[in-house]
Amino acid sequence: MTQQLAIIVLVDVGNALASRTLDGNTYLFDNMKLHGSQNEGAGDLVTAVNGSYWSDGSQASEQVLNWLPYSLGSIPPTVPRGYQAARGREADRQALAELTALANRPAAISGEAEAALTRIQQSVGTRVRTTARTRALSGQQVLDVTGKVVADHSQGAHSYPTPIITDIFGEAVDEKVMYPAEYGSPDLVTDGWYWSATVDTSRPGTFSYTMRIQLHELLQRADEWTWEPVNLTCESKLCITMEPRRNGFTKAGMGYLPIVPGAFA
Amino acid sequence: MKPQVNIAVVVDVIGALSDKSLLNGNLCMMDDGTFDSTGQGTPELCTVVAPGQVVQWSALAVDLQTPVEIKSITFLGPGDGEDAGARGEDSGDGDHLDLNVWTGVVPPFMAPGVPHKYRLELQMYEGEHSVLRIDSPALMRL
Amino acid sequence: MTTKPRQQKATPKRPISITAVVDCVGALAAQSTHGNLYLYDTNKAGGSAGFGTEELKTKVKAGDQLLWGVLALECEAFVAIEDIVIDKEVCEPVRKVYPGTDVAYWIGTVKKDDVAVVPYQIKFRLGTQVEPITTTLSPALVG
Repeated sequence: MTQQLAIIVLVDVGNALASRTLDGNTYLFDNMKLHGSQNEGAGDLVTAVNGSYWSDGSQASEQVLNWLPYSLGSIPPTVPRGYQAARGREADRQALAELTALANRPAAISGEAEAALTRIQQSVGTRVRTTARTRALSGQQVLDVTGKVVADHSQGAHSYPTPIITDIFGEAVDEKVMYPAEYGSPDLVTDGWYWSATVDTSRPGTFSYTMRIQLHELLQRADEWTWEPVNLTCESKLCITMEPRRNGFTKAGMGYLPIVPGAFA
Repeated sequence: MKPQVNIAVVVDVIGALSDKSLLNGNLCMMDDGTFDSTGQGTPELCTVVAPGQVVQWSALAVDLQTPVEIKSITFLGPGDGEDAGARGEDSGDGDHLDLNVWTGVVPPFMAPGVPHKYRLELQMYEGEHSVLRIDSPALMRL
Repeated sequence: MTTKPRQQKATPKRPISITAVVDCVGALAAQSTHGNLYLYDTNKAGGSAGFGTEELKTKVKAGDQLLWGVLALECEAFVAIEDIVIDKEVCEPVRKVYPGTDVAYWIGTVKKDDVAVVPYQIKFRLGTQVEPITTTLSPALVG
């Protein structure tokens, strides 16, 4: 079975939200540089999809594409997905312990107690509200890029959630060259959902496609912080080629295995 | 007797490139032949075949996003060196290894009961250290 | 709830994240990062250049916090930064770990202003290979 193609979509979320466009803020990679993909690491990737066919013309290999979005400058995807919830719980647990200690202390000077309470309040962070479309982020504390809970959201130190691809469409899909769909996966790196597509390699040529990507912005609305979704689009291309298969030993059709007659007789 | 015997060459590409070797569990070979092949799951697979059967080799990477292709399969002579006549044509163009289909028919003049070892060369991506080989797998005619 | 007074001084903003995207298979097969490494940082607005190349030039000022992270092109491959070799007068990155995990990052503060161009090297650990691979071309900090 041939190698599966992985296309990485690395988004500079901070700058994309500031300029409200993915142009110039998205970097695309795939693992097909060896087979001819061009412009790796920039915004105009052309992914090489090399198909092959048997001598009777039938498609010999199936090419599978997988898309992986990442946020530049956020907590890396190798950190376990339950991390945010775990850090939130840890911060809560610590805060409770400190509050208990504070309550059990003999009558403290009022200024000291207030200072201690403020410190605990900061370490607990602030829970963020969400809209119906960003339910996955509900109830979680916001973390900064080193994994610590963020107290003051106005500082802009928070780590952005991973961008989500919500749709893949365009010429390649319309021409029935590519068949994308969203799949469930137990793989923690992809957070349970990822986009994958099979390619009909019997149609050589270059085809463009567009991804709709959802970013999240932390905004203050009426005294509460919420994650609001921001939808942007990003284009890329596939370059499909097709070549005939041939026998590895003879470079033509099948023959005897190349064992010398009488070698061991 | 089945008309075709399939040999699967399963490689941990990152492990093999890190160790610069196909040993240490980085290579696992298996076949689905009906006779009693030995060394299943190791680089010392000895596949038992009969004349007229088709043998097919396929390479598969454990991590589907890493590349591995068979670069060559060369049958070794009785000495340790290669038998020049038994060498398959050199695939000069490393670029299109994925177009090769490694199949062949077991010839009727293959001597029975003797393991015929072959050198298996694998190409993982490109670069100075991208080709690794082993000489231990074999075919044996009943 | 009391209102927070507006702060006058420039408060510490988010660290500048420098991300190295590594093609692990390519780097191991060639035993070199050349052609297999793409660097980015989050300070494009501040003037960083060389995005996507091995010679990223990150624009910095004294007091900026820099955070180095690494991403493998093959999502299940292992890659980590073993060391960052840079003039200690300018920055001394240290290795830290995300609390509760074994995933590491390197963080350091820029000590001086008016540094012209300070090139540095990154050493990567790839796959199960014991020996790290050092960058061929150098990224740099630019003041």
